[in-house]
Amino acid sequence: MLTGDAALAVELGAVVRARLAGFSGFLRANGFGVGGADAVSVLDTGAKMGILDPQVLRWSLKALLCGRGDEWRRFDKLFDAYFLPPNKSLIVQSSGGAAGGARDAADAGRAGAEFDSSPGTGQPVAGDGDEGSARHGASREESLASTDFRALNNSQQAYDIEALMRRFAKRLRPLRLRREATHHHGRRLDLQATIRQSVASGGTPIRLAWKERRRVRPRLVLLVDVSRSMSLYSFFYMRLARALCGELADVYCFIFHTRITDVGAALSDPDPWRSQARLHLLAIGWAGGTRIGECLRDFNRDQGARLVHSRTGVIVVSDGYDTGEPALLAESLATLRSRSRCLVWLNPLLNQAGYTPESRGMRAAMPHIDLLAAGADLASVERVLPQVLQTLR
Amino acid sequence: MPEIIDLQRRLEDVGYVAEAPLAAALLLMLELGRPLLLEGDAGVGKTEIAKALALTQDARLIRLQCYEGLDVHTAMYEWNYQRQLLAIKLLEHDERPTSVKEKDIFSERYLLKRPLLEAISCAVPPVLLIDEVDRADEAFEAYLLELLSDFQMSIPELGTMRAVTKPLVIITSNGTRELSDALRRRCLYQYIDYPAFEKELAIVEIRAPEAGGQLARQVVDFVQSVRRMDLQKKPGIAETLDWTAALLRMGISVIDDDGAERILETLSALIKTRDDRAGFTREVVARIAASC
Repeated sequence: MLTGDAALAVELGAVVRARLAGFSGFLRANGFGVGGADAVSVLDTGAKMGILDPQVLRWSLKALLCGRGDEWRRFDKLFDAYFLPPNKSLIVQSSGGAAGGARDAADAGRAGAEFDSSPGTGQPVAGDGDEGSARHGASREESLASTDFRALNNSQQAYDIEALMRRFAKRLRPLRLRREATHHHGRRLDLQATIRQSVASGGTPIRLAWKERRRVRPRLVLLVDVSRSMSLYSFFYMRLARALCGELADVYCFIFHTRITDVGAALSDPDPWRSQARLHLLAIGWAGGTRIGECLRDFNRDQGARLVHSRTGVIVVSDGYDTGEPALLAESLATLRSRSRCLVWLNPLLNQAGYTPESRGMRAAMPHIDLLAAGADLASVERVLPQVLQTLR
Repeated sequence: MPEIIDLQRRLEDVGYVAEAPLAAALLLMLELGRPLLLEGDAGVGKTEIAKALALTQDARLIRLQCYEGLDVHTAMYEWNYQRQLLAIKLLEHDERPTSVKEKDIFSERYLLKRPLLEAISCAVPPVLLIDEVDRADEAFEAYLLELLSDFQMSIPELGTMRAVTKPLVIITSNGTRELSDALRRRCLYQYIDYPAFEKELAIVEIRAPEAGGQLARQVVDFVQSVRRMDLQKKPGIAETLDWTAALLRMGISVIDDDGAERILETLSALIKTRDDRAGFTREVVARIAASC
């Protein structure tokens, strides 16, 4: 088949090639992580697998251009939108001359633009997001006004505290593991490397090699409550999370109120203004009610297996004022606890004199958390985090 | 299309039921010489693909199981230090010049080939299975990238080892860690989902022919309903086959709500966590069994 179809692809020439090459650009416009070199691979694939059978072309390009699960699920729709009629008829009509190539490419571009702008199917990611908020956001407690994050970057003060947090994050040293690796002045002799080095000196071990425990960074998962009762602290924690995400490799951050949202990508955006804008978009429902139990259950179900492992520290930041079912909260926390190394609950109210964790949510949570600590200012967080990291080794 | 059907048939001959898209991806991988990255839940048959592919190609299967802390020495190559040391002692009274002796000591005779070096030095292209790459760390992933783009490896004492033939590389990942975009871009991608009813039935019929038509159908129906439940660990295909074997061993030839007690005894082959097991009371099993 290969030689036959290869010849065919060359014969069909410019029109088909422009059309095929445009597909990777179309996918890129729809948020796929494809690069310029992929356009060449697409042509290569088309030539090798044949382009006349739509199914074969679909399967081949799917294997070639997808890189992760969500792309895999969205691919078919995008493929249909790009290649199926009325677009398909264009190929047939203009297959005569080479001049059709440019026009066809322009058409492809226009089709792509149309697809982008159509609200329903155009941007599957955004569409899903909207749907999601409609589905989860049925609660009356949610405040639908998007909350102002401008305080995050506007004033000099905000910069100062962020710098302070970054310095703090830098102090969180990488962990040492039980596994060992060669090190220039370690604590144990690396026999294998010593013998290897001794070969150079005729079998006499003159230079010794040492082993030291390997260092890795621990994984931290931050679950920050941004309900109304926490609104005084949530900005503070978002800044801290942004500092941690910037300085440490393995930090994941989620915000929750009546549903739970991943804000890791938004926080680690290098451009602070864009980061702020993205948080704006995620902020629907910010400062509303709280359903901690349900949020944690959703987290366990959707992210738990992927993110939480035996060297993960989970930090829940919440005041424990929960409108959900306490039993569900206890159960979700127990599951989370069994997956992770340690589960820490930071409660800003603990800084106030005379506060005791007597709310329903806190009472349900207490048996399942390793450490309940105050968390209203950087100093108290600074006291807790190094200890958390200690337990992760 | 005929090539795809042909490949599907050859895979089926060695006991692997592949859907057309997967067969197309395998074919494309053979054509383009690119690695194939397989993702999906545990137990959907990712590793089996490599084994089946090796059988259809009459190629050796070289397997590299990744784990946390996997380093270059265990994955690529290592010098046989003990033998080298011995050789140095033996050569002490040898009259040959030092440079010749040194060349002798650092020759391929003293090189221990680990899977990756092995894979690029085979005369016949082997199938290289890099299993659960997400368990290895980022540093190893970077090494792997270098190998996968050029198919060559540099050993300081010996020089660069170029691939004699390009191995067919299959990489599997369970998604415990995000893989780098660079690795994803180098690979073809295939997401393997839990099989649909027909596919799983075909697998059970091929792998456990003694189950017979009706039991196989019921087993698959049962497992499919179990997967729809809210479980921590959903049963994979391996579990289905184990469970079929367990049922046959217990002499159960039909699944119905009367035999729920006995089915309950065999469920340990299907349900692997305590919390999930607690959800399977006699009533639940009887209800599922009755609907099969």
